[in-house]
Amino acid sequence: MRVWRWWFGRRGDVDEEIQTHLRMAVAERVARGESPEEARRAVLREFGNVALVREVTRAAWGWEWMERVGQDARYAVRQLRRSPGFAVTVIVTLALGLGATAAMFTVVNRVLFRTMPYKDAGRLVVIQESGRRGVFYSGVPYLDIEAWRGRAKSFEEIAFSVLAGGRTFLEGGAGAEQVEHRMVSTNLFHVLGVEPAMGRGFADDKNAGFAETGDENTVVLSDAVWRESFGGDRKILGKVVKMNGQSYTVVGVMPRGFGFPAEAKSPQIWTAVALRDSDKTRTNQSTTYETIARMKHGVSVADAEAEMKVVQVEVAKQYPDMYARDLVSSAKVKRYRDSLVGTDVRRALLALFAASGVLWLIACVNATGLLLARGTARRREIAVRGALGASRWRIVRQLLVEGLMLSVGGSVLGLALAVVLLKVFAHGLTTQLHVDGVMPDERAIGVLLGLTIFSAVVSSMWPAVVSARASIEPALRQGGAQSGAARGQHRVRGLLVVTQIALSLLLMVSCGLLLRTIYALQHVPLGFLTDHIIVGNMTIPAYKYAGQDMATELYRPLLERAKTLPGVESAALMTEVPLGTTFRMVFSFGVEGNSADTVKRRDFRAQFRAVSPEMQKVFGFRMLKGRFFNESDTPGSQAVVVVNRAFVKEFSESNDPGKMLGQRLLSLEKGKPAIVVGVLDDERQVSVAEKSQPEIEVCLPQLTPQSGFYKASEGMAMDLAVRTERSPASVVPELRDLMRKASPELGSTKFTTMNQIVEDSYGNQQIAARLLMVFGGSALLLCLAGLYGLLAYLVTQRTRELGVRIALGAQRGHVMWLVMRQAGWMLLCGSAVGLGLAYFTSRLVGSFLYGVKPHDAWTMVAVSVLLVGSGLGAAFVPARRAAKVDPMEALRAE
Amino acid sequence: MARKSEYRNRVELVQGTLDMLVLQTLQWGPQHGYGIVQALHTHSGEVLQVETGSLYPALHRLERQGWVRSEWKMTESNQRARFYRITAAGKKQLASDHDRWRLMVGAIAAVMQKTGSTE
Repeated sequence: MRVWRWWFGRRGDVDEEIQTHLRMAVAERVARGESPEEARRAVLREFGNVALVREVTRAAWGWEWMERVGQDARYAVRQLRRSPGFAVTVIVTLALGLGATAAMFTVVNRVLFRTMPYKDAGRLVVIQESGRRGVFYSGVPYLDIEAWRGRAKSFEEIAFSVLAGGRTFLEGGAGAEQVEHRMVSTNLFHVLGVEPAMGRGFADDKNAGFAETGDENTVVLSDAVWRESFGGDRKILGKVVKMNGQSYTVVGVMPRGFGFPAEAKSPQIWTAVALRDSDKTRTNQSTTYETIARMKHGVSVADAEAEMKVVQVEVAKQYPDMYARDLVSSAKVKRYRDSLVGTDVRRALLALFAASGVLWLIACVNATGLLLARGTARRREIAVRGALGASRWRIVRQLLVEGLMLSVGGSVLGLALAVVLLKVFAHGLTTQLHVDGVMPDERAIGVLLGLTIFSAVVSSMWPAVVSARASIEPALRQGGAQSGAARGQHRVRGLLVVTQIALSLLLMVSCGLLLRTIYALQHVPLGFLTDHIIVGNMTIPAYKYAGQDMATELYRPLLERAKTLPGVESAALMTEVPLGTTFRMVFSFGVEGNSADTVKRRDFRAQFRAVSPEMQKVFGFRMLKGRFFNESDTPGSQAVVVVNRAFVKEFSESNDPGKMLGQRLLSLEKGKPAIVVGVLDDERQVSVAEKSQPEIEVCLPQLTPQSGFYKASEGMAMDLAVRTERSPASVVPELRDLMRKASPELGSTKFTTMNQIVEDSYGNQQIAARLLMVFGGSALLLCLAGLYGLLAYLVTQRTRELGVRIALGAQRGHVMWLVMRQAGWMLLCGSAVGLGLAYFTSRLVGSFLYGVKPHDAWTMVAVSVLLVGSGLGAAFVPARRAAKVDPMEALRAE
Repeated sequence: MARKSEYRNRVELVQGTLDMLVLQTLQWGPQHGYGIVQALHTHSGEVLQVETGSLYPALHRLERQGWVRSEWKMTESNQRARFYRITAAGKKQLASDHDRWRLMVGAIAAVMQKTGSTE
């Protein structure tokens, strides 16, 4: 409060007060008989130093430091306006560092530290089972959950949920829309600590968490669904809605911003889990649920996990099947937030964040060098201020304020750069990290502000102290000669440049390694063609075709029509395209028993696909042995399957594709055993970087509703792959039209190209490579600028010395060599240190690399050569200027 | 020299004492800066001549502490001047200062008397 009173009132008062005082004193003296001038002189003499009194009086309030800082700021702005080139250089330099760090922090904050819409989210954990095969099962049967509730003491409450089978279509105001349908235990919202915004939610079955009888067909909507599909109808509670043709009663609407799982890809709805017979046993048919539990206060994740490991041993013993028991002998507890992001993604993000920090450091070092140079140029001005009575601290403070202004300018520009960077990488971020709309939020801006102040202090403190400590007298003398202190400063600046070079080399080596990785990935022989293929990922409203054969009702007409489109060479249907990520099926043998052979069989996992015979025409892959599906494979003919080379290798002891042909592996339906009719050459179907997985394919036309595979293959998702020379922009609308005619829900199918899918499959490395290119490139630029700046400055300082040398007969070439030698020394030292650093830290990116080792000598040498080469190039300009020094000019007395 | 005779009347006052004197003056009614100087000069029997260089800082210091309040008013000669008045807190401070002063005076007097007796 006092500040306001002072600022607006008393500040100006003192002057008037003093003037009034003087006037009254003069009036009194005049009244006593003195002349006005004499009176005035006497009064002033008596009063003392008016200005000083005013200062001291003002100081009595204690707020004048604010005014001084304002003065400093105004002066700083004036100075900077006078040398715009310098100001712009420093601002751009700092902007690069601050912008990169701000962008990376935004991403890291959003992905790793996102705030979740739950109460006290730090205590929410996920419990998983693990065992012999080293795989973690996040789905567990209900009986295990019941056992945990009884034995584990670390948790307040355990809830569970499972994704509803198939795809769910909700009929709302605008037709049927696909929603993410999750069946949850009735205590789930309670565990999360969030109450529905409308309605009461699910009726709580006090113990088990299952829906009470009669309450099974209740649904809770998310805010998004409520607004979009039902227009925010206030009377929605109690209404009946249809999902997949079934009726459900709405019992609640969750608040805005709530989602479970935390980041959902489609609008969400939740229904209560119904207790089924399969939940009373532990078999292959039991539904497996994902758990989420709230730990008690004061329990740490490590404690909970230790307890669970012990409890799980007992629980595993209750499994009747020994094979299954081995698979679940241990347990793992993970924080819910951590379970949303994979460890290698987390590590990669942190590594990239560190890289942006390195760039920031380089930028600050550059800024320091520039400020040091400027301090030397302003030697005289600062000496004058010191001579006039400014204390050292005052000078330092003024230079710090200048540094702060530059830093603030840099952070504004940096924020703009960060936004641009995030926009450029938006697609990659959405596909790889499942976050969209990543923009700096309050936390990111707060961190940026803090970093700005930190940068200002780091980069300008030292030049400020150096300037303030410089002795006044030599600076005021005409023609300030180089003193010993300046020599030390040059050495220090040289050291700064060496540091910059080392750090830049570090970034550039990582960049080089990743670029080589991308190159290698782009040239991996995929085993199939990818050009000119358009892919549509369909979600199938299976409920509309209950009782019908989707192969004949939906798929065959769709495929025929697609083939007849103009420009389409061939079209095929398959549950998933190679390298796709929308729908994956894994096949395992359903054998029983525990002998070594059967265990080996039971452990076997293969990728499973249902494809139409035209797939070979679209993708053009090779058959190693035998044939692929063709038109002769119909529901009436012999059932056939196709496997790939990796399957043969893992499955049979002989590893001979020829022997595989004709073998009976599985039955499409009762009484219809399928034989292997062909072996595919290996193809990359999971990810470009991983080697080929075992795969087994069945022929789509051969799957009838009687087949065990029918529901899963045909009823959920299907990809349409179309080979055409036409551009996607022209064909996609026609395909979409086709699909809508077949079934209205298919109108919202997502279309993309095969090339894009391939690129997305190594999208992680792609983003990292691009980011590191930006960082590495900026670092190189800053480095060269720093080197150039220092050398140019040194040449200016040594003008007289060089003039003397030339006058005494030194060749121009020799003078150039002098300058280049200095540059060369710095480059060599920097490169050596940088290579050392790179050697130790490239291990961090090791998990990202493909086709190149972290300590690849070629990359390191190439990058060093690039750096040294461009450094020498940057040094060339000052060197030539040095050689051009005119001895007469230089020797003339200044 | 003329200058010396002017300064003869100036007495060095400890900072705290000046505060106390100012508060006491204001006890007699609100006053502006020049008036305080005159009042002190008169009431001290023309001994104390407060240096204006210390008066104004003192007045502002007192206002910052909340012991006096100030406002612009017109004097008798129709001049605008800043009038200071003492506040309740100021009166309390004055009382405590006065107590401390009496303690100081008594202690110094005791010392001076003692020295006299031993002679």
